[in-house]
Amino acid sequence: MSTPAVKTVTPTTVDELRDAVLDHPGTLRVAGAGTAADWAGTPAPADTVLDVTGLSGIVTHNPGDMTVEVRAGTPFAALQDELAQHHQRVAVDPARAAEGATLGGLFATADSGPRSLQYGSLRDLVIGATVVLPDGTTARSGGHVIKNVAGYDLTKVLHGAHGTLAVIAGLVLRLHPAPRSTPTAAVPTDRAGMADLARRVADSPVEAVAVQWHADRLLVLFEGSEDGADARARRLVETVGGELLAANEATAAWDAHGAAVRARPEGRAVFRLGVIPAALPGVLDGLEADAGALTEVTASPRTGIATVALPADADLVAAAHRRVAEAGGTSSLRQRPDGASLPAFGPAPASAVLLRAVAASLDPEQRLGRGRLAPWVPLPETTGVTA
Amino acid sequence: MVDAQMVREFTDLLSENGVITDEVGLRSYECDGLTGFRQVPALVVLPRDAEEVAGAVRLCAEYGMPFVARGAGTGLSGGAMPVADGVVISLQKLRRILEIDVENRRAVLEPGVYNLEISKAAAPHGLYYAPDPSSQQVCTIGGNVAENSGGAHCLKYGFTTNHVLEMEVVLADGSVVTLGGPTGEQAGPDLRGLFIGSEGTLGVCTKVTVRLLQTPQSVRTVLADFPSIEAAGDTVGDIVDAAIIPAAVEMMDSLAMEASEAATGAGLTVDSPAALIIELDGPADEVEAEFEQLTAICERHGATRLHVPQEAEERQKVWKGRKAAFAAVGRISPDYIVQDGVVPRTRLAEVLTRIADMGRDAGLRVANVFHAGDGNLHPLVLYSEAAGEHDAAEKLSTDIAELCVELGGSLSGEHGIGTDKACSMPAMFSEDDLGVMHRVRLAFDPDSRCNPGKLFPTPRLCGERPGKYQPHPLEEAGVIERL
Repeated sequence: MSTPAVKTVTPTTVDELRDAVLDHPGTLRVAGAGTAADWAGTPAPADTVLDVTGLSGIVTHNPGDMTVEVRAGTPFAALQDELAQHHQRVAVDPARAAEGATLGGLFATADSGPRSLQYGSLRDLVIGATVVLPDGTTARSGGHVIKNVAGYDLTKVLHGAHGTLAVIAGLVLRLHPAPRSTPTAAVPTDRAGMADLARRVADSPVEAVAVQWHADRLLVLFEGSEDGADARARRLVETVGGELLAANEATAAWDAHGAAVRARPEGRAVFRLGVIPAALPGVLDGLEADAGALTEVTASPRTGIATVALPADADLVAAAHRRVAEAGGTSSLRQRPDGASLPAFGPAPASAVLLRAVAASLDPEQRLGRGRLAPWVPLPETTGVTA
Repeated sequence: MVDAQMVREFTDLLSENGVITDEVGLRSYECDGLTGFRQVPALVVLPRDAEEVAGAVRLCAEYGMPFVARGAGTGLSGGAMPVADGVVISLQKLRRILEIDVENRRAVLEPGVYNLEISKAAAPHGLYYAPDPSSQQVCTIGGNVAENSGGAHCLKYGFTTNHVLEMEVVLADGSVVTLGGPTGEQAGPDLRGLFIGSEGTLGVCTKVTVRLLQTPQSVRTVLADFPSIEAAGDTVGDIVDAAIIPAAVEMMDSLAMEASEAATGAGLTVDSPAALIIELDGPADEVEAEFEQLTAICERHGATRLHVPQEAEERQKVWKGRKAAFAAVGRISPDYIVQDGVVPRTRLAEVLTRIADMGRDAGLRVANVFHAGDGNLHPLVLYSEAAGEHDAAEKLSTDIAELCVELGGSLSGEHGIGTDKACSMPAMFSEDDLGVMHRVRLAFDPDSRCNPGKLFPTPRLCGERPGKYQPHPLEEAGVIERL
């Protein structure tokens, strides 16, 4: 069967997005900035690509209410720049932001950064959404207020849906004030020592907003007033050693950390995992025992989340998923070399039944993002072009 | 309908002590904290552990019986009101704290554990559980999950959904699944977040893992009186503009203070038009510096009195004045309705002016107690049943909730939709919005047997015409009444 040329449509309004969904029968793949195109399951070829980068820009920003509504294709970095003028921000720091990732893309891929220790991920900051279902239904959930329990929190089910279930057209987010000072302390430690050190950080009253291990150092980030945050950082250094980084050193350290998280090492698979913090060192040791030396590792010994590169071998990746599942954690594949067939997820949890039921209810023909959640949501029996 | 065979099967599963069939026993479950809605259930069952919950739900499935999971029954939206000819599954025997994991800062709980018990159990380790609904002494974590409960401190710390990591859930067919995981890292869609706040319509939660936070090093509280509601509101705006995120900002008007002071003697100034209770927490030095800024802002807006409790005990007393306000209103009015709506914080002054006008037009007094930091209002509509003011009060209360929606807010900030506000949902959501929610509901519960009749407007409850509230036919017949 020859593959027909894939159409790309670029709607610029919610109505155009709905029309595009209705006017292009067959399967659809939602595309943003393309910074996570190879995350999760390998997408099946789609009849039409919905490029949502045309849905860009701030709809409303209410500085006094500390909320902002944005179109889904808005680049995260551009939003932060705009908000910075009002001394506000979205309090997440995913590594892909530096590559131009969009709000919708970061939300759909459930991405998060070091500050998730303090602020959670976008799921914790998004308070409303407008979505378009594969049947053209346009629906809204949540709203513009931070506190709101009216109706189901439907937005949540699109966090981590990887472009399946519905197309995210717009998001409403709660904002935080931009901190006046963000000092970083760096404490040398190898991987074996990171957990104990991080525990000492957590047990001291210094209130770090991020604790990450990278390149044989524990980076500890603080936020607050100039006097307050700096004093806490210095106190930590007095207690556990290391040094308070100068501003340019801190920027360089976090840039290097971000670069490591989003790296696409040649011929390797990037594997993301989350386990109970105390289990993290053991799981990382186990992965190393199976797959050989882990050369690219970033890890938060306080959240239990780590990003590692593994050989692009299907059995090894499957074994890594199993190890994480046995430790009660979750894992997913973030990138694979071109053409490699590697399992995106671990063993299906019992809740996969619900996932399939929700998928069948919102997208019964599996028009959106086919293959992204496979094998938890398997491909329909008849695949291929349905138009 | 319940028959002898069914009762026998429940008794075999749960023992005789675990099944209530007598009229008096059943009647004690007929309503939750919103006592105007009542329905005696056909059967009440009291499982002792998660396995028995799953067994009970499976029996309900076999017999096609609708069921309502119930914690402490403190909800204020009729969410735990039983269904006619249905089963109430009480979770009050599942009250064990299964684990306080100090190293990983989390607690594993059965759903019937009281909210405050979590923090009490964690306190010796310098940890606590952040969401603190006013009913925290008597409400359960399972109920908090169902309602996505907040509390006075959620401005800074977030809601139940931000603190629950993992849950074990029994689905409508009796199968058991785990939603969420040990960290914030997700593989696949966030079903945990979807379940939290679903008001018992998607399943029964039987185990919850929550995050514990480090107890703040320092806490500072001020009770500040203001010459007007506007001055208090402007103060909150300036605090936000100064990039201070208080742990809590609560506002009370003079009527609410009059009631609360009579009940608690907390030290509120009864003739002050408005007061704020503002709390800061965090590292000692920074709290101290921000507290100075904060009191300066209060003074700039003409604060007539700043009371700064020095000891924890004194602080508790101020908080008691706030948290006891709902019940205290009973001292100044024979009957009252607690409303729960949200507006964008910058529209607080506007909504309060409109509420005052609406109260005047209706000839009813409205006391205001609310979470000013996040725009979550709790207007208390005062009325006299004996004087025949019930219908006017009910209408005023519903109008206030719908006014919140009109101003860009929400029908509910923390009490939920339940039975009470189901008919107002079309004021906030379109038919399509509600249709998508309903599709998700059917994915979890194809026969709609989990807490049916709640959250969604139904023709039976709201009349054939979707839209504004219409009296229930039984209400018109005088069989039931709304509070």
